[in-house]
Amino acid sequence: MITKRKISLALATTLAAVTLYGPTVQAHHSFAMYDMKVLKVFTGVVTRIDPAPNHLQIYFAPMNAEHNNVERDAAGEPIVWAVEMTGSAQMARQGVSVNSFPPGTVFSVALHPLRNGETAGTRQGGLFQCPERMPPAPGMYCDSVAGHIAIGDEPLALVAE
Amino acid sequence: MKNKIWCLPVFVLATFFGQTVVAQKTAVIGFTSVGRAAPLAADINEYPMVGATTRVLIPIGAPRDPNAFTGTARNGESPPGIEPLPIDMFSSKDFYKDRALWTDPRYFRCNSSAAMEDLWGGSGQGLIGDNPPLSAPWGVCDRDYPREAIVSPYKFATAQAHYEALMAETRQRGGPTKHTYATVPGEWSGVYMHPGRTPDGQYWYRGRHVQIPTVLSLLTPEYQTRFVQEAYHHGNTNAAQWPSQYCWPEGFMRRWHEAAVWEHYIMVTPDMVQIMAGVARNFITNIHIGREFNMEGAVPRLGADVPRWYGETIGFWDNDTLITWTSNIQGWKVHSAPEYSNFLQTIEIYTPNRDAAGNFLGLNHEAIFYDPEALVEPIRIVRNYVKQSGFDTGDPYVFIECVQSIFPIDGKATPVSPGNVIEYEVPDMYGRPWARIWEKYFEQGMEKQKEADIFSFP
Repeated sequence: MITKRKISLALATTLAAVTLYGPTVQAHHSFAMYDMKVLKVFTGVVTRIDPAPNHLQIYFAPMNAEHNNVERDAAGEPIVWAVEMTGSAQMARQGVSVNSFPPGTVFSVALHPLRNGETAGTRQGGLFQCPERMPPAPGMYCDSVAGHIAIGDEPLALVAE
Repeated sequence: MKNKIWCLPVFVLATFFGQTVVAQKTAVIGFTSVGRAAPLAADINEYPMVGATTRVLIPIGAPRDPNAFTGTARNGESPPGIEPLPIDMFSSKDFYKDRALWTDPRYFRCNSSAAMEDLWGGSGQGLIGDNPPLSAPWGVCDRDYPREAIVSPYKFATAQAHYEALMAETRQRGGPTKHTYATVPGEWSGVYMHPGRTPDGQYWYRGRHVQIPTVLSLLTPEYQTRFVQEAYHHGNTNAAQWPSQYCWPEGFMRRWHEAAVWEHYIMVTPDMVQIMAGVARNFITNIHIGREFNMEGAVPRLGADVPRWYGETIGFWDNDTLITWTSNIQGWKVHSAPEYSNFLQTIEIYTPNRDAAGNFLGLNHEAIFYDPEALVEPIRIVRNYVKQSGFDTGDPYVFIECVQSIFPIDGKATPVSPGNVIEYEVPDMYGRPWARIWEKYFEQGMEKQKEADIFSFP
């Protein structure tokens, strides 16, 4: 169910993101490949940080409903998503870097997915890093875990239900 | 093992270039330093190559003697006086299982790492024989460049300690020197000869004079495995994965590879010294004079907490000697040389080489490498740059854009023509993509160490 509060929050965070990241985003590629009307929220396990100088990517495996492992494909391999951030230097100043987000890091983030259905998206709103090897309880996100680290000043974007 | 036969080609080279030969000597500084210009334990130019190879030590691109052969046996034969191992790298189906044999040069048939990559014709005529890989040739087992000439002669555990000791020494000498545009050594600015073509310009990292077990003795167990893994896929499976063949990054250590950097373009200002070189990629070393590293975080750095392919460098002058510290380097690989980690840091010292009359000839470049993840102790490379001109003549520096035309197909590097359609697996560039190719196509069934499970949360 979509509430006015959630829609307002999503619009506000989108506006903030465009204001904050807009000049950098426009410099490297179009973001029209992402569907800004759709929002997905994940808690996932980092498989790799790609500190590309244009836009840092976090590759991650979304956690399963029980939060004791990750979602897997028919072959049993982890399903990997990518979430695109802003530039690697800017993200490092916010606390997301190769050194601070090693493989195995658990975090929660919202993203606007690709229009074509592939497993990638662009970040929306706040990003929360769980304490090491401490995923949130099922149905919860890293912002609920004591000792989490907030990346940026925004809350975790909320998905339209 | 010294071999004076090499005096002849050295003389020929010196004549060919018509320049003063600058042997692999350390800098002449006139005092005993705490951390620079220590003598080399051995001058590699007095050592013959290990082989097996048809190369002779001539400038890159010069004609080769088709009958030249440095080695002791070829086409599957065994060298006289050498008892082959029951299994070696060319007969093994799983090099991981053979770890106990890696310390024996015979496991590699006494081939050096650079020779190994040439066996199938990696750079010219191949030597692999009629029944590859079993027919691989043998190098010369009793040749080797001594380990003590490779490791650092200085007793510092970290680059930071080394840099601080050199700074303290320089302060005792009245420095560091604060140069202005009027005093900065402008004679440095100009173009320097391709280090691989510099007469008497051998250094151990070029990989032709050192037995593989000697290199392995410098490495931690994980990096030993990585080094042998590449040697195996050079010599046994013929599946070279050289980064620049795919337009992947060259990486920091390729600054010392003979094929990656040709002429060096050096510009000197009071605040910045810039060194540019490159063939397939641009190597731009910006040395920030007088700056200090941010010491917070995983490694010292100048900018954001992002490992940089070519690191970040600070430095200071001691009169006309430049002392530098590089950190924040992205770990990567160099073919036929050890992989290195994000913890690699270097101390590099550039000292003018002069003739008896005091004329500037070029620069002695002494580099000490600290990498606690990859190396069991620091190592050193010494080489010399020979200045060939100012910027007022010759070809300008060409800025390079690498456009990919070779792709990995079924694990083998394959040129693909425009218009062709191929299946392409996107490489995990920060997860040793070369190794992922080997593991997928050539190591099925091998008993390699399993990676940690990062996905389970009990």
